[in-house]
Amino acid sequence: MEAAGADVILSIRDVCKTFPGVRALDGVSVDVKRGTVHGIVGENGAGKSTLMKILSGVYEKDSGTVHFDGQRIERTTPHQSMQSGLAIIYQELNLVNTMSVGENVFLGRFREMGGMRGTHARAREILDSIGCKVSTGRLVSELSVSEKQMVEIAKALSFQSKLIIMDEPSSSLTGEELVELAKIIQQLKEQGISIIYISHKLAEIFEFCDVVSVMRDGRIIDTKPKTAFTRNELIAKMVGRTIENEYPPRPQCVGAPLMEVRRINTRKLHDISFTLHRGEILGLVGLVGAGRTEIVRALFGADKVRGHEVLIDGKPVAIRTPQDAKAAGLGFIPEDRKLQGLVLPFSVEANISMASFKKFSRLGFIRKSIERAIAARQVKALKVKTPSARVPVRNLSGGNQQKCIVGRWLEISPRIFIMDEPTRGIDVGAKYEIYVLMKEIAERGGAIILISSELPEVLNMANRVLTIFEGRITGELLPEKASADEIMTSALGMGRGAA
Amino acid sequence: MQEMNSALGAGTPDGSVAPGARRGALRSTATLAQDYLVLVMIAVLVLITAAVEPKFLLRANLVNIMRQFGPLIMVSMGMTFVIIGGFIDLSVAGTINLVAVVTISLIQPLGQVPALLIGLAIGAVCGLLNAVVILSSGALTQAEALFLTFGMSTVFSAFALLYSHGSTMHFWDIEASKSVFEGIGGGNLGPLSVSFVMFLSCLVVLWIFQEKTVEGRYIRLTGGNKTAARLAGVNVSRAIVLIYTLCGFMTGVGAIVLFSRITTAAPVIGAGYETNAILAVVVGGTTLLGGKGSVVRTVMGVLLVILMSNCLDLLNVSTYLQVAVKGAILVLAIWLDNRKRV
Repeated sequence: MEAAGADVILSIRDVCKTFPGVRALDGVSVDVKRGTVHGIVGENGAGKSTLMKILSGVYEKDSGTVHFDGQRIERTTPHQSMQSGLAIIYQELNLVNTMSVGENVFLGRFREMGGMRGTHARAREILDSIGCKVSTGRLVSELSVSEKQMVEIAKALSFQSKLIIMDEPSSSLTGEELVELAKIIQQLKEQGISIIYISHKLAEIFEFCDVVSVMRDGRIIDTKPKTAFTRNELIAKMVGRTIENEYPPRPQCVGAPLMEVRRINTRKLHDISFTLHRGEILGLVGLVGAGRTEIVRALFGADKVRGHEVLIDGKPVAIRTPQDAKAAGLGFIPEDRKLQGLVLPFSVEANISMASFKKFSRLGFIRKSIERAIAARQVKALKVKTPSARVPVRNLSGGNQQKCIVGRWLEISPRIFIMDEPTRGIDVGAKYEIYVLMKEIAERGGAIILISSELPEVLNMANRVLTIFEGRITGELLPEKASADEIMTSALGMGRGAA
Repeated sequence: MQEMNSALGAGTPDGSVAPGARRGALRSTATLAQDYLVLVMIAVLVLITAAVEPKFLLRANLVNIMRQFGPLIMVSMGMTFVIIGGFIDLSVAGTINLVAVVTISLIQPLGQVPALLIGLAIGAVCGLLNAVVILSSGALTQAEALFLTFGMSTVFSAFALLYSHGSTMHFWDIEASKSVFEGIGGGNLGPLSVSFVMFLSCLVVLWIFQEKTVEGRYIRLTGGNKTAARLAGVNVSRAIVLIYTLCGFMTGVGAIVLFSRITTAAPVIGAGYETNAILAVVVGGTTLLGGKGSVVRTVMGVLLVILMSNCLDLLNVSTYLQVAVKGAILVLAIWLDNRKRV
């Protein structure tokens, strides 16, 4: 028991956890000091989530010890761990959408708060303490993602939490909201609350954290003060090898116009018109809710939108449904992989073959051998890590799941590929592979519309950027020439005016 | 047995065998346990009843079981596709009422073959109407479909009552030839009854449809994740039309088998079929969550439900208590299904 001093809020020693066939945690030891922000990085499948779930009581550990705030913790439940002052804010926030902000903060504890009036008053105090101005009477469903996150933080604070674990808190935040989050984290720190910050985004790790632990293959590979790490060293430790670059060189093969979009108008979108060229990667940049996703959904026929024109190769095409879009040569990677992209309980094979029935059916009958060959081809070509194409796609890591969706579309070689947050929540190695795929698609003459909340991704991959603000295109910039600041200014609607 | 298991394995698109998979082994054990559970329950039921009440094994009783099997299996096989597609159909009782009274009334004026065809068409149209109502109202959840089809059931039943003026029609009132219906109701083809042969043919066709066709896969994908299926270019609306029309059609077949067997058609003969069919599908192991299941499983589910009624009848258990037992089994089946999902 070397370092279980009073300045350590959480001490984990030799924790192991095995699932059938997989050693998820293999002797994890780490100390989190009071009042620090402790970053944990690692590729998907490194064991971060398993470790957090053991701390919160969702899983039970096989062996090892956990001390929290001086108390040894053996078995716990999510509720008990919350009561004892350990709160977890998951990536997919756990709020009741149909209830108000105040009610969510004190869910199930209204009586202790002295009825609804007390509940709202106390919730107000907590929200004020983190500088959140959202009214406690508003419905959670009306809030933006970052506001919801603040409600989650308020909920954690309402339990007098001493340690708050944030699992990928920034995955759907953009620029300004991230600044807000940074402020809140700073305030929590000043109040003496410790934070475990899990993220794939190294920039945030370097900005927010005091200490960083790297996880790989169920172990903590290294724990050091942030200042002792260089960015490349961190990446190398995460993936277990050196990655020269985070991005492949940008494809340079922009050709003739391929698709022309004229005047998309909906309640949220105003006069969206643009041209997409062969071999081009076109980035759409904007805040969450600015209308980026709505634009591509309208293009793909996923939402009912009327009155706009789409020309491909100069010829008008009518896209009313996703089937029309597919027939016109469009492919679509939706923003929410699990809810919109995959059929989670189905096999890798069934998920890959989903868009190419024409290829493996005859007279309406499925030809199983061809379907298998299609799946095998894409699994091989995209290096999908899976024990077999017949396991449920749910068992794969985020990056490999995303590759299944990419492979699904590559199989029918779309000419226009829409990618909405294609690398959200996936690790550095898999990200790089997806960037290389994007480059290859462009170099073969395909065009890509890329939506991403990660500005560096757009800056490094896109040939051209359209900035979207409140449903309008507010600027057209070339990332090779424009700076990140210029693009953000334009995306915040403060640019000099648009194309 | 061997063959049945392999058919069940193929009943899930991910296959039940996934060596080396993290949860694959566990999952297939759970699936296997459930398959055996149904078979074991059937065996136990048969053994206990045969021991307590030897009448159970009398030929007359076995024939009786086969006859009861006929209508319910048809409806349940149709219902299986609705549930695999992630929806539910409570309108089958109303559809049975309507098909039965209209078909029987048309034998005299139009002849038996046209009456039969019109009856089947009415079943399919009732199903189609369900799909139209669901699609046009934008109801995309099972709960919404539950209420909508419940509403449709009362509409169909009301039409059956209006059409028949609430009266019951009997075969002996019909002077025209009704040999086809008499054949369906009580005829034999070699050693098998006509209705059993009908069941076998429907089972084979539907199993091939479920496993081997693109449309069958579309239905599964729709049940697995409607949004993802739609965004991958699957015509989800068509799958919804298909499952309800198929269910309506199979319900029409079931209605014809039913009134042919009892040689009468009253506008209320379908009562209870919706719960029994859902019970059979779920007990068989098709999950209400959608995406997974098989008509083969449903056959076992129906067998269990019918045997259970028959046993309870033979053991002189009161009808009221029988209803309670059925309800309890439905709850248990859904409970097990939910546990398995964790």
